[in-house]
Amino acid sequence: MAQGTLLQVGSFTADGSNKRIAIRSDFDYIEVFNRTAAAQATADLGYFFHFQRGDTDGRGYLETKLGTVANDPVTVGQIAADSGFFLLDTSANPVSASTVVDSATDATRPVVSTSSTAGLAVDDVVRMTLVGQESLGGIDFQIDEVNSDSDFRIKYVMANSPGAAATSGTWRKIKYDPIFYPRRRFIANITAASSAVVRCTVDHGLTVGQEVRMHVPAVYEMIEMDGLSGTITAVTANEFTLDIDSSAFTAFVFPLPADVPFTPALVVPYGIDTGVALSNSVDDLADATENQAIIGVDLIAGDDSPAGNNNDVIEWRAFKAFSVNNE
Amino acid sequence: MLASTASVINCVGGVNGDNPTEMTRSDVDQVVKVLKGNDSKPFLSGMAGEDKFGSAPVRWAYFALGSTDLIGDLENVSGFISQAQYPNPMNAISDAEWGSISNLRFMLSSIGSKTANSSANGNDVYNVFCVAREAYACVEQDGYSAQFIYRPPIYDGPLAQNSSAGYKMAQVPRILNDLWVQNLRCTLA
Repeated sequence: MAQGTLLQVGSFTADGSNKRIAIRSDFDYIEVFNRTAAAQATADLGYFFHFQRGDTDGRGYLETKLGTVANDPVTVGQIAADSGFFLLDTSANPVSASTVVDSATDATRPVVSTSSTAGLAVDDVVRMTLVGQESLGGIDFQIDEVNSDSDFRIKYVMANSPGAAATSGTWRKIKYDPIFYPRRRFIANITAASSAVVRCTVDHGLTVGQEVRMHVPAVYEMIEMDGLSGTITAVTANEFTLDIDSSAFTAFVFPLPADVPFTPALVVPYGIDTGVALSNSVDDLADATENQAIIGVDLIAGDDSPAGNNNDVIEWRAFKAFSVNNE
Repeated sequence: MLASTASVINCVGGVNGDNPTEMTRSDVDQVVKVLKGNDSKPFLSGMAGEDKFGSAPVRWAYFALGSTDLIGDLENVSGFISQAQYPNPMNAISDAEWGSISNLRFMLSSIGSKTANSSANGNDVYNVFCVAREAYACVEQDGYSAQFIYRPPIYDGPLAQNSSAGYKMAQVPRILNDLWVQNLRCTLA
């Protein structure tokens, strides 16, 4: 790849959410052209966006077509903070700065009160340090119901509540998954059933047919499950069903603060049952170890943001400079 | 790859009030018990004791791969033998070898794995990969694993003014037997 060239181009149809684009060799300048916004003449919409290495992360500049004004004039401005381009390297430290937690409820889906939810959205993953709920500390949890600068809630139900309310602590956003797939995951609950259903604390990304080994330390009480391996027969985003009969097993219990320190219960994927995978139309190489780290850019969605609105047709062009001389 | 996918044992024998705790002898014994209980094979044979002041025999051992930040904490673990105390220090595997505890020989690197802010108290967690023979491997594709490519100016531009450097990788690490590698996670004392 020669330097100083148009590095990579592409287009996509927006779905109303932020857009992540992997750009090999990294880039120094990117521009985004929203064809839909440029073609319309009924609303004031950003249609051309650009970002150069050295600009403030999360911003950039835009040109807006004023479709509500006669002759559709264009204005130019800076993209609002956190509404533009974010440089991306998912192999970097995934942990954000800490934010104070005021309290957390004693529930199977604790509601965590905090004076700032900046940067948080539904389905984000957080890692917390909680005084009074020490057993949740250091475990990654997906969240839902984010109320701006008030609270958020743990998304997936744990086997039991943490045993007490938290009185203080911190939360940190986990921006990226560990880079290698398939990943081990923390367990929130396991049912006692003829086909055990395992619930993870975050979306697991596993597929039908994958074989996993269960690690359930004694503190979780379902010790009969510890060390067993099973084949996944059904999946949802955060749960999977195993061909393991756990109906006679001791009930799964999530540790309490008094149990700290302990080794967390984990599911470790290690292979695939080819027959089960193929009979369920799953790629029989779905268990392949894969480095999923990418470098590139996150485009934010919105009227005046580069990822646009639902059904917008958007094209982008990334450039690599011979050198970047920001003085 | 190991940090993302390997089985985990938290250190729980320490007294620093965190989860995981700092490493102790009981934690080392636990991981050796798991590896040996899974019929794994060690990497290294033992060293017989010799009549040398301050030296000690060294057991057959698995590798334990960790961060140089653990220097100091390791010395405080009961049964630690510095590589300088081996019957023949020349038998240390490399400059990376710091010493042994029980049936683990510790290889430390400044880029050893740690997971930021991952303990119950928000401290960094150190991943110590305790590996037996043939626990994992790297699959080389297209006949090479990684290439660093440098082209001097005479080859890189028509005016011979600029050079270029880059790398490409074609390899896949893979755990061969998940029972033969354990991530012993710990915090600092």
